[in-house]
Amino acid sequence: MAEPYLQMIGITKQFPGVRALSNVSLAAYAGEAHALIGANGAGKSTLMNILGGVIRADAGEIRIGGKPVAIHSPLDATANGIAFVHQEMAMLPTMTVAENMHIASFPTRLGWVDRNTMVERTRPILRRLGCQFSPDTQVQHLSTGDRQMVEIARALLSHPSIIIFDEPTSSLTSREKARLFDVIRGLKAEGVTIIYITHFLDEVFQICERATVLRGGEMVGSGVMQELKPEQIVHMMIGDLGVEVHQKALKANLGEPVLRVTRLNREGVLKDISFILHRGEVLGLWGLLGSGRTEVARAIIGLDPIDSGQIEIHDGKTLRVVRPSEAQRWIGMLTEDRRDEGLLLPMSVKQNMSLANLRGLASRWMLIRDDEETRQASRLVKRLNIIISNLRQPVRTLSGGNQQKVVVGRWLQVSPPIFIMDEPTRGLDVGAKAEIRNIILELAEAGNAILVISSEIDEMIALCQRYLVMNRGQIVKELPGSATRNELMAAAAGVEMADAASI
Amino acid sequence: MVTQSASDEYKAVQLLSLRRRLADDRILRLIPIILLIAVLAVLAASVPNFFTSRNIINVLVQASTLGLMAIGMTFVMISGGIDLSIPAIMALSAILGAMHLRDGGSIAVSCLIMLAVGGLLGAVNGFAVAYLKMIPFVVTLAMMTVATGTSIWITNSISVPVTNEALFDLVLDRSFLNIPRPVFITALVTILAVVIIRKHIFGRWLYAVGVNAKAARVSGVPTTRVIFGTYVISGFMAGLTAIVLAARLGSASANMGSDSIVLDIVSSCVVGGVSIYGGVGGPLGAVFGAILITVISNSMNMMQVSFFTSLIVKGIVIIAFVAFDSFRRR
Repeated sequence: MAEPYLQMIGITKQFPGVRALSNVSLAAYAGEAHALIGANGAGKSTLMNILGGVIRADAGEIRIGGKPVAIHSPLDATANGIAFVHQEMAMLPTMTVAENMHIASFPTRLGWVDRNTMVERTRPILRRLGCQFSPDTQVQHLSTGDRQMVEIARALLSHPSIIIFDEPTSSLTSREKARLFDVIRGLKAEGVTIIYITHFLDEVFQICERATVLRGGEMVGSGVMQELKPEQIVHMMIGDLGVEVHQKALKANLGEPVLRVTRLNREGVLKDISFILHRGEVLGLWGLLGSGRTEVARAIIGLDPIDSGQIEIHDGKTLRVVRPSEAQRWIGMLTEDRRDEGLLLPMSVKQNMSLANLRGLASRWMLIRDDEETRQASRLVKRLNIIISNLRQPVRTLSGGNQQKVVVGRWLQVSPPIFIMDEPTRGLDVGAKAEIRNIILELAEAGNAILVISSEIDEMIALCQRYLVMNRGQIVKELPGSATRNELMAAAAGVEMADAASI
Repeated sequence: MVTQSASDEYKAVQLLSLRRRLADDRILRLIPIILLIAVLAVLAASVPNFFTSRNIINVLVQASTLGLMAIGMTFVMISGGIDLSIPAIMALSAILGAMHLRDGGSIAVSCLIMLAVGGLLGAVNGFAVAYLKMIPFVVTLAMMTVATGTSIWITNSISVPVTNEALFDLVLDRSFLNIPRPVFITALVTILAVVIIRKHIFGRWLYAVGVNAKAARVSGVPTTRVIFGTYVISGFMAGLTAIVLAARLGSASANMGSDSIVLDIVSSCVVGGVSIYGGVGGPLGAVFGAILITVISNSMNMMQVSFFTSLIVKGIVIIAFVAFDSFRRR
C-alpha cells in the first residue's frame, strides 16, 4: 500500500478550559475521499482549522507527501496545496462569479483590478466543473447548487492537492448532490485528496473510501469504508457509556392525549409531521443533528413559521385546535441554546425564574408582588438544588447546570401541562445531568407530558416511554420505550433492522 | 479566510473579562455624578451668577421639559429602539392644542388634544416598529419629517400664540415654595415611571425584551405589544411636554421641536446610564442626565459660548458616553 499523501499525527489542542483535541491522527490517500465524522463539538472543525492554518496545534505533526510541513497561517496552507470548501457559502451576492472567486486576492494591473485575467482564469475551472453559467453572472442569480460550485471553483483556483469539504450537501437538493458527487469523483480521478466532513452517513458510504471518527476531541475509530458498517460508525460517534440503565418505569398504558400534531409542514424543513403526546409520557424525538428535531419543537410553539398543519392541545376539558402562538400558554419550552434563547444573563436569578409567571405574580394593578416572587424563587431554588449565593445574583455568574435549573424553575413556577425540552442537559457535568433527568422523570410521574430532544442516546434511553425517529425533516419510525441502543442507532442512521441485527 | 492566532484569542478573553469587571463595577454608575460635580465646581468658580436661586430654578424648569421627553425616550431605549420623532411630535401636538385654544376651545380639551396627538403619533411609530418590524431609526426619522412638515404647513411657519392665560396659571403656578409647577410635574412623572419600570409587569417585560427578546418570547412575554407600548409612551410624553412648553413659551411653533432637542434627549438618556443597546438604565438616570445636559447648556450660555459651540460640546459628550457604553456592554 502506498504511503498516505496527508498525515496528521498526534494533533493536540488545548483551548482555555477545554481540551479540544487530544492526540488525534488522520491519514488520507491521494485520489481518495476521506470522511471525517463526529457529533457537534467532537473536534472536526478544530482539526480542519489546524490543517487550514487558522489555528495552531499545541503538539503534533503534519506531513504532506511524506515530508513534514509547518502550517502557521492560511497562506501556508494554500502554499502547501490545501483548500477549503466552506459549509455556509460566504459570498457577496451582488458581485459576479469571477469576482467572488478572486475576492481574497484580485489580480491587478497598475493597482487596478484586472478583470480580463480574472475572467480568463475562471473560465477553465467552471468548464472543468461542468458549470453552464458565465463568470460574469451575479452570484445572486445562481441556485444554491451552483453557488456551491462557485465555492468549489474558488478552492480550485490555487490548484490544490488537498480539498476539505465541510458539510457540502446540507443545503443541496438531491440532483445538485448527485452533481457534486460527480465533481468529487472527477477530482479523485485527478489524484486530489478529499477530506469530507459530514454527519450524513449515507453520503459517506456513497463517496468516501475511508473514514476517521472523532468524539470529544479524540479519535475513536478509523478504517476503510468497505469494512465499516453504519451502526458501527454511529456507535463510535455517540459512544458507549457502559450498561443500559432503565431508570424509567415503562407504563403499559398511555394517558389521554394532551397534544396532537397533524401533518405539520414547512417547505424544505419539515414534512408531514404527525404525532400524539400523552399525559404522563416522556416522548423522545430522536435523530441525528440536522434531522429536523429542533425544528419540530420550534414550529409547535410558533417560534418558526409553518406552511400547513394543525396543532391541538387539551385545555383541561377537550382537545382543541390552537394557533402556534397560543400553544405557548400550555407548553413550557427549554430551548437548545439556553444562553441565546433562554436566559436573561445580566438579570437576577429571581427575575429569570419569574419571567414566565409574571401574570401570576401580579397584583390587581399589575404590579409584581415582590414577596411572592421571592417566595416562589426560593422555593424552587431549594427544590431544584440550585447553588447560588443569593436570589439577586446575576444568572450570568452561574455554572451551566445551575443556569439550566433556573430555566427549568422558570417553567415550574407556571407548571404547564406540556414541556418541550431541547437538549436539556447539553454541556452539563455528570451530576447536573443526572439531576435534570430526575426532574424530567418526576414531572412525567406527576402527570405532565414531555417531549424530549437529545443527541445523547443514553439520555434518551434513560427517559423515554416512546421514540419518534426523524430523518431529513420527516418522522420515519416509531419505536417503543423498550427499544435498545442498537435499534435506535440503526433507525437514526436510516439502516434497516435486518442489517442491524448482524452486528 | 479568518485569521486568528491563539494569542489573539487569549487577548480577546482577557479583554472580555476586563469588560465584565467594569460592567459589574458600580463606581461606573457614579461617573455622571462626578462629572456633574466637576461641572458645578467649574461653574462656581467661573460663572458668578450661576448659583443664584433664580438661575437654579431656571435650570430646573428647563430640565423639566427635557426630563419628560427623556423619560419617554428611556422606555423606547430600554426595549432596544430609539425615537427621533419626540420633539417633532411635541411641536405638532403643541400647535394643534394652541390652535384649539385660539379658536375658543377650552383648556381641558386643548390639553387632551395635545396628549392624544402625541399618543396617536407614537402609536403609529409603534405599529410600524413592532408589528411591521420596521427599523426604529428609519420609522421615527420619517415621522419626525412628517410631523415637522405638517407643523410648518398648518402654521405657515408662524407661531401660534397661546391666548388663554388660564393655561399659564395652571401650568406655571409657583405657589408652593416658589417653585414652578413643571418641576413638580416632572418629579411626579419620574416617580410614576420608576414605579412602572421597577414594579409593574410592563417594566419587567420591557427589560426582558431589551436584554434578550428571543428568550422573552420563548417565555411568553408579549414582545410585540411591549415594543408598541414604548412608542405610545414616548409619544404621550411628547404630548405632555407640549402642554408644559406651550404654556411656558406662551406660543407654539414648528421651531419648538428643533433637531438639537433630539440630541439633548439622547444625551440625557445616555449620560444617565440608559444603554443605546437596550436592557439597561432607568428613568431616574435619564432625568438626572437631563439636569446635567441643561446645566451644561445653561452655563455655556452664561459664559457666552455660542449656541453652535455648545452643540459641538454636547455632541462630544454623547460620543464619549456611547463609546463608554459600548466598552462595558455585555
